[in-house]
Amino acid sequence: MISCTEFIPAYSAYFGYLDKKDGYEGVVAFWEYLSDHFLCNLRDLVIEKGLRGCYEYWSRTLNEEAADFVMTLDEEAGVFTIDMKWCPSKGRLLKLSHMKPYPHYCNHCDVLYRRVLEPLGYQYDIDLSKVDQAQCILTVRRKEQS
Amino acid sequence: MAFLQMVRHASDNPYLHKDFHGALNFALIYLEMQHGEQAVREYLAEFATQYYAPLNQAIREKGLDPLKDYLERIYALEGGQVEIRRLSDPDALIIQVTVCPAVSYIRQSGQEVSPLFYLTHEVVNECICRETPYRSELIDYEPQTGACVQRFLRRS
Repeated sequence: MISCTEFIPAYSAYFGYLDKKDGYEGVVAFWEYLSDHFLCNLRDLVIEKGLRGCYEYWSRTLNEEAADFVMTLDEEAGVFTIDMKWCPSKGRLLKLSHMKPYPHYCNHCDVLYRRVLEPLGYQYDIDLSKVDQAQCILTVRRKEQS
Repeated sequence: MAFLQMVRHASDNPYLHKDFHGALNFALIYLEMQHGEQAVREYLAEFATQYYAPLNQAIREKGLDPLKDYLERIYALEGGQVEIRRLSDPDALIIQVTVCPAVSYIRQSGQEVSPLFYLTHEVVNECICRETPYRSELIDYEPQTGACVQRFLRRS
């Protein structure tokens, strides 16, 4: 059995394998498929509760993943942010001395969540400029109604 | 209109996100759909050869004890109903899985389990044993619960 505590290296290797087979486009196609078929819980929560659904979704996942983060929901401003101080996934990959992380590993967080949130009327941004330190900033804003 | 903030440090929580079993299962289903069973085998072998290289090296140097320690640690974290035992033969290790923590979690989540999920034992164990004095066997795999017997034996 591959333990869920070993999933991240398995996931990184999976992206690398798909990339060898189908190129980066093939990896993105997988992320899109995963977003459409596996993230129903995030989609349902946001449809029901708006930005608070984001807060609920990541409250569970980030705690179970033992992340180091500051998560903020400002409903009046219509903004939800995760300031990731140490991403448990990328952090673990960077610590592995005998495996090289998939170079575009962190892009999955861009594709997966953008694809759920933007069609629901939110602007999604993720700053991946510090992923070499296992840090990123994810921002979801409610789009103004015209 | 609420303002909520959550601040957490990595040390505040144990690392155990069981949804990852579902994500791996989903990945295996997708890979089989796109490229067939052989690709699933190839991917798992590539991953396991790299990731378990330190464990493979430890088995070469110290025999089955490091493997037993590793499996006890993993199954203690994951739960399920699993018995890990040595026989009187010091070159044999038996893992009797009555309820697989991964398969039971995936099923409880309402997902279909990949018909190739057993390869996460078969291929991974083969890679862990590769070029060591030991070989692995997967016996009586039951797809509904993931129940199985895994045996590690000295090569004849």
